[in-house]
Amino acid sequence: MKWMLLAVFTGALQADDISFNRDIRPILSDQCFHCHGPDPNNRKAGLRLDDEAAAKAALKNGHRGIATGDPASSEIVKRMLHTSKGLRMPPSYAGRDALPPADIEKVKRWIEQGAKYEKHWAFLPPVRSTLPKVQDSKWPRNNLDHFVLAKLEQKGWTPNPEADRATLLRRLSLDLTGLPPTPSELDAFLNDKRPDAYERQVDRLLRSPRYAERMTWRWLEAARYADTNGYQSDGVRDMYRWRDYVLESFASNKPFDRFIVEQLAGDLMPNATLETRIATAFHRNNRTSAEGGIVPEEFRVEYVADRAETTSTVFLGLTMGCARCHDHKYDPITQKDFYSLFAFFNSVPEKGLVYNWGNDEPMIKAPTREQSAKLSKLDAKLTAARQAVARLEPRIRREQARWLRSIESDNMIWAPTGGLAYSKRQGIELDGKKVIEEKEGTVIYDYLSPFTFSAWVKPRAQDGAIVSISQDFDEGNGHALLMMKGKLRLHVVFRWTDIGLRIETEDPLPLGEWSHVTATYDGSRYAKGVRLFVNGQPRPTRILFDELNWPMKFKYPLRIGAGYGLRFEGGIEDVRVYTRALSEDEVTSIWDRAPISPKSHPAKIRLAFLDQAKYPEFAAAREAQAERDEYHATIPTVMVMEDGPKRQAYLLKRGAYDAPGDPVEPDTPSLLPPMPEHFPKNRLGLAQWIVSRENPLAARVTVNRFWQMIFGAGLVKTVEDFGSQGEWPIQQELLDELAVSFMDSGWDVRTLLRQIVTSATYRQSSKTTAAAYQRDPENRYLARATRMRMPPEMIRDNALAVSGLLVERVGGPSVKPYQPDGLWKELASAGDYPQDHGPNLYRRSLYTFWKRTVAPPSMVNFDSPNREVCTVRETRTNTPLQALNLMNDVTFLEAARELGERMMRQKGIDTGFRTVLSRLPSEKERTLLQQSLSRFQQRFRADPKAADMMLQQGEAPMPRKLDRTELAAWMSVASLILNLDEAITRQ
Amino acid sequence: MSELSRLLTRRYFFGKSALGLGTIALSDLLSAKDRTGGLTGIPHFAPKAKRVIYLFQSGGPSQMELFDYKPGLAKYENQNLPESIRNGQRLTGMSASQANFPVVSSRFGFKQHGRNGTWVGDLLPHTAKVVDDIAIVRSVHTEAINHDPAVTFLLTGSQISGRPSLGAWLSYGLGAETEELPAFVVMLSSPGGGQPLYDRLWGSGFLPSRFQGVKFRSSGDPVLYLSDPKGMQREDRRAYLDTLGQLNEEQLREYGDPEIATRIAQYEMAFRMQTSVPALTDLSQEPQSTFDLYGAEARKPGTFAANALLARRLVERGVRSIQLFHRDWDHHGGLQTGLPKRCQDVDQASAALITDLKQRGLLDETLVVWGGEFGRTVYCQGQLTKDNYGRDHHPRCFSIWMAGGGIKGGTVWGETDDYSYNIVKDPVHIHDLQATILHCLGIDHTRLTYKFQGRAFRLTDVHGHVVKGLLA
Repeated sequence: MKWMLLAVFTGALQADDISFNRDIRPILSDQCFHCHGPDPNNRKAGLRLDDEAAAKAALKNGHRGIATGDPASSEIVKRMLHTSKGLRMPPSYAGRDALPPADIEKVKRWIEQGAKYEKHWAFLPPVRSTLPKVQDSKWPRNNLDHFVLAKLEQKGWTPNPEADRATLLRRLSLDLTGLPPTPSELDAFLNDKRPDAYERQVDRLLRSPRYAERMTWRWLEAARYADTNGYQSDGVRDMYRWRDYVLESFASNKPFDRFIVEQLAGDLMPNATLETRIATAFHRNNRTSAEGGIVPEEFRVEYVADRAETTSTVFLGLTMGCARCHDHKYDPITQKDFYSLFAFFNSVPEKGLVYNWGNDEPMIKAPTREQSAKLSKLDAKLTAARQAVARLEPRIRREQARWLRSIESDNMIWAPTGGLAYSKRQGIELDGKKVIEEKEGTVIYDYLSPFTFSAWVKPRAQDGAIVSISQDFDEGNGHALLMMKGKLRLHVVFRWTDIGLRIETEDPLPLGEWSHVTATYDGSRYAKGVRLFVNGQPRPTRILFDELNWPMKFKYPLRIGAGYGLRFEGGIEDVRVYTRALSEDEVTSIWDRAPISPKSHPAKIRLAFLDQAKYPEFAAAREAQAERDEYHATIPTVMVMEDGPKRQAYLLKRGAYDAPGDPVEPDTPSLLPPMPEHFPKNRLGLAQWIVSRENPLAARVTVNRFWQMIFGAGLVKTVEDFGSQGEWPIQQELLDELAVSFMDSGWDVRTLLRQIVTSATYRQSSKTTAAAYQRDPENRYLARATRMRMPPEMIRDNALAVSGLLVERVGGPSVKPYQPDGLWKELASAGDYPQDHGPNLYRRSLYTFWKRTVAPPSMVNFDSPNREVCTVRETRTNTPLQALNLMNDVTFLEAARELGERMMRQKGIDTGFRTVLSRLPSEKERTLLQQSLSRFQQRFRADPKAADMMLQQGEAPMPRKLDRTELAAWMSVASLILNLDEAITRQ
Repeated sequence: MSELSRLLTRRYFFGKSALGLGTIALSDLLSAKDRTGGLTGIPHFAPKAKRVIYLFQSGGPSQMELFDYKPGLAKYENQNLPESIRNGQRLTGMSASQANFPVVSSRFGFKQHGRNGTWVGDLLPHTAKVVDDIAIVRSVHTEAINHDPAVTFLLTGSQISGRPSLGAWLSYGLGAETEELPAFVVMLSSPGGGQPLYDRLWGSGFLPSRFQGVKFRSSGDPVLYLSDPKGMQREDRRAYLDTLGQLNEEQLREYGDPEIATRIAQYEMAFRMQTSVPALTDLSQEPQSTFDLYGAEARKPGTFAANALLARRLVERGVRSIQLFHRDWDHHGGLQTGLPKRCQDVDQASAALITDLKQRGLLDETLVVWGGEFGRTVYCQGQLTKDNYGRDHHPRCFSIWMAGGGIKGGTVWGETDDYSYNIVKDPVHIHDLQATILHCLGIDHTRLTYKFQGRAFRLTDVHGHVVKGLLA
């Protein structure tokens, strides 16, 4: 009986080689660690099973959890077998079922054999083992084949024969470039009789720019890249320059360790460049919230936690998120470990409530090479223009002096007039009740409108409104220059409680005497763009509120002596309202309001003189400046990582932002080798530690993800979790071989992929028999190649490519191809999806605009992750919605029409079939398609109107001269071919 | 089908497969049983309800005007909310820095209705008429104070997105009762504004994507990509699919991959949906009496009333979960004019749905839930004037109602203090509500789990108690 049970569970295992890590840890971890694991707060009965000494120690009641060599007196075995529901473990009151007998048997054997513990495999460094011996020494083409074959031979299985060359090339092209081979590429390969013809194809494809595009898509998912913020308002952001960076990195085969370091800490690298700073956008791809009313700190903490979790998932394969609220239940990761990792990302000078209409700070201009070159040219032009102005200086001095003498008796009053939207020169005496009110809309400012308010005031009271374009009650909205508690104060408010900008001078204005007051705002959204002047001098200010992030199209009256429910007592004169921010010299020249004379402020004399002298050099310099600024404004930005002043991190109790516990410092998880002393304790040190040779995880996790991409499942299937709840690697020796050689190669991704795709393992056929399928349905042992439905982006790209519609252009801003009408609008009432036209309809899918709350439906239908959080595991489902999508989405119908047209012109089913599937149809297939064509020909000949309607798909121009009924029939057959299971499968 | 494919198909569909849930779905499709899919062992016990209709009122309807009658509030009108009541509770960023918190009482009347003399606001005259069939819960409370986290919490059990939605959990656990329609259908209505919604509210989170809700839309295709291109008729599609099936079978014979058999079946299912969905959304056969019951608005596609009527038609056809969303209940200001409009949008049709299900004998096996993501503050937000006031978000108490399968009609559950600010009796946390909904459907909420990233997740996280007092 015993051996029978064993036979059931061990499969290939010998009865006597129970391994703790492979056989026992998964059981204990899944079933026991929750209450008897690393988390002390949740530990029941004082029993701890993840630690050998603790597990074997005597318990309070004298029992032993594990009695070495003696399963019968081991409490865990007794309890696993207990017949009383109340005492049986794992307990039914926790919703758990009894363990399967086979598992209990394993535990018993393990205890009998001495109950040896092992450190979790993934936390020990990878080592190369000797190549396993194989019987069929001719089969292996490289190292990895030895491992695969040894395992197969151990099981008594034989590998599949090599796939035919056409299938191989299609598989290879799809895997490495995401696009199928063209018929001529196929012919070239089929006719290439050189022994290394296949390897030549591998090299050709790895060098193709399409290769970088293929690799980038996967990385976008891991990096939770999107074009919108993601939480409620889901506003637009602009991160495509980071995507360009990823494309360039794969295209140049940047060593992957460098790729990791740049993205985590490119700003802190000793030789930081624009490129390495753009790389750090990786950790600004997290979702952010612009929902009015949130508690900003709650969300800021969420952003930092997202970075810590993403870092651990992508680079370490650890699910550290569990330790956010309590010590990890399965792995030795403490809550302190989580917040120590969190601390690396906690000092980004970012806001919890973000801007909804574009990128938010910290961000940088991220010009492309062409843009940089053009900007340099404009800068040079500006410099030249400024030099011309400087050369004018002696002449200006002469002519200004002459001019000054000539106007001395003119009593000339001068002030800047450009952008003056409203002024009231004469003085008014206000009594705290009276108001000067102009009609609504006299001046309208938005939140991005630069402006200037200025006036002479002689206040008699501490509080009063000077000039406003606002509501007239306390805590209202709008723009206003005020006095509050004696201080000069500026309000730009959308909603008092959470959206606006408020700033005041540090010192009060004197009461009972005249002061000239000015506020200027540069339209930057930030309080740092505001200056407050008293008597022509900028004054030190205090920022009261700095959250100006929402458009405001208010039409309030312009009032003098009122606003925000305040009145003014005293005198007001010379009120000026500009639609631009005046310069300091200009402010000075308003303050100095006497007629121009040699006693006037020199800055004013100069401004007034230049105003009338009209030197063309100045005009040229202004123009050059404007040209440069205008161009500069069109240069894309990208949000980047930056460390501001240190923000202390705390262990957050229960993970709650408002329950700080002990302070923590940046540090790496304690279960892994520590960070060397000489590494900086910042993101750069973290990144260097991640890619260091001592780190057992990063290389393994990376090669495992590439393995998943090629074979459909990782060697560790749980690509996101290498911890004790993760899957034991199906072949650890192979994983380690790949990881070590990857590091030895200098983290060379192309070399790794080349090694994989040139293997005999990869080159097998994916054909199988029912019996072979049954013994390994998931194909984990690789006795055949895996047949895989294409990922979503590849399905669309493939259809565009085979129909000839694909527009290939690497990089650049996101594009908006077809999408059913109304999808954005029905969720948010805001504007609908602004679809692009022309070439942007046909770019590869990695450039498709990704709105997080309404993701592109045809991507989601085919199991694309939603890009809300980092996703590294690939999933595939098979649903009726996918069938509808392929049959009726305009993308695929337009592709079918184009493909149908080509087939019609070449009068053959074969060409279309071969373009899509890289092979010719069988006799039977040809007959079936031919019959279908005839049927549709008859159908549309009988009903030409139906043919016309059928052909109306998409925006690509339709051929004028072709017979439309014919074309509709060919289109129907083309659609049929595009809907074949084979057409969306890499086999 | 060829011998091989038949063999494979049989083994594959009825044997245990490890290839992934997507393919198992097909076994569901082809199975002759009443139920397709779902987990063995679920339901855990005899369910009272087989299906659920959630009439979600997005934005947070005000409890003081609708269900939580506070006649005593008038005497505190315009007085500052006592600190002892607010008790330092966190407020949204929108009113946290408000200087005053003036109490404002409901400006709409209340009357007693039904056997038990239950108080219902005058804004809901139709709901008042079915008050004996519904259980009003006045003591629901949540942890979130803003829309996105609060809606996400209610519908997925976590404030931060990423978890499966209620409907997805039900599809995963209970499977479907129909092969013609998706197991989880979502319908949206909006008076033209309101807080945005997000696909993830009916998403499958970390569950396989086939469990996500399918949105039925009121314009364009009711289901995305449902309609064949104009010019392609039904028999054309049939012929197309016949050829496609034969070609795919050739491939199946060649490669022996059961995914191909699944694909063939999914195309057949798609073909059936092309008939069943338009038949469902075509209301032309409904008699006049239906529109008398639901209101004339029900003739207008995309209204709440039309969606409520469709919900009844969906449960008749065995759809497991139906999630309606009606937007624009977020009355920070303008409550006095805005709230009556929203009530007008939904009152008659919500009550009609109860009546209609009842007269068809479906109410006993259908759970209906009505409510928003949180309540509103007793104090005024913004300017308090004679004919205008507003209320901010309030997580500490709000009112919903439940009816039908498993629920004791005529119940009023829970009590709040004089200010409808704090709960004083029988609090119902969001996780309790979720546990109760699952209970009605025969599911022990602690045992419907899915292992992801090493942890067994559930809708109620590690919390939740079934509210026994609500159960029939």
